[in-house]
Amino acid sequence: MNAWLVIVAAGLGSYVFRISMVVLADRVTMPRQLERASTFVAPAAFAALAAGGIAANTAGVDVAAWTAPLGAVVVAVIAVRLTGRPYAALLAGMPTLWVLTAVVPA
Amino acid sequence: MTAVTVAPIRGVRGGEFAAGARAMVPWLAGVTPFGLVIGVSAAQADIPTLAGWLTGPAIYAGSSQVAAIEMLDAGTAPVVVVITALVINLRLILYSGAIAAHWRGTPRWWRAMAAYLLIDPSFVVGIDRYQRPGDRSDAHTYYLGGAITLWVGWLLAIGAGATLGAQLPAALHLEFVIPLYLVGEIVPKLGDRATRRAALTAAVVAVVAISAPMHVGVVLAIVAGLVAALTVKEGSR
Repeated sequence: MNAWLVIVAAGLGSYVFRISMVVLADRVTMPRQLERASTFVAPAAFAALAAGGIAANTAGVDVAAWTAPLGAVVVAVIAVRLTGRPYAALLAGMPTLWVLTAVVPA
Repeated sequence: MTAVTVAPIRGVRGGEFAAGARAMVPWLAGVTPFGLVIGVSAAQADIPTLAGWLTGPAIYAGSSQVAAIEMLDAGTAPVVVVITALVINLRLILYSGAIAAHWRGTPRWWRAMAAYLLIDPSFVVGIDRYQRPGDRSDAHTYYLGGAITLWVGWLLAIGAGATLGAQLPAALHLEFVIPLYLVGEIVPKLGDRATRRAALTAAVVAVVAISAPMHVGVVLAIVAGLVAALTVKEGSR
């Protein structure tokens, strides 16, 4: 199997994952508990991707390295809570990250 | 002569498409450097550059694309490469399940296309719109606006990386754009206890499992979040 076939096979498999539940939803009635669980996929996925993204981009267990990203997250949360606007997280968080990265030695 | 009427909703739909595209801009800022890196690695790997670029439209999932290119470059057995790429993409089944109810009743061709475009950013942007009240067909247009914008931007970024090479603006720390954007999306949704528990558990597990093999940490985290949420009695605040 050459590189082209491997990529096409991985692509087809990924597409089957993407369409799987969309197709099954028409033929199968989801159990109540599973339907309830599906409503939590979004917040769980958002949180997992956010926390994973911060951890992946923050070196090891060095407390100093975590100061800037954690400070940015705290400021972002406060900004969203105060304004009620999701985009406030970026507007407040990124400048905080830049400032803390510049002033806190990693 | 038959009178031709223009549906008044057309302007609204165009607005919805543009709104979806605008909602995708923070994601584009965050994922573009990643796309450039994938393009550069595709150009440097011991596979045809075009095959590396093809991971974009074929697999259309960054982590999975990186794994496939790196493993092909290292001469890993093809079956192992495919299995690894698919394990990394297991979360797509969860996304598919979460969004399926919103796509019920749409034409098959539409679902086939919309499913192809389903990936973390399009899921986040789309599900956020579907959860708001209003005409569902407008939400479909919004989803496509975001998803198509991402698809075009992603393929352009990989192509640019493969052809031009990339100098990432490291000082801007654009890798934190997406996590902060997600924080902004999560905070307003933490109104009930089950959702809070889902988010907190998923975040903790994602950090603990950051080094899990084959990038299964996100899947583990989502599943842990769901299990934790289901332990909360329905309707509990």
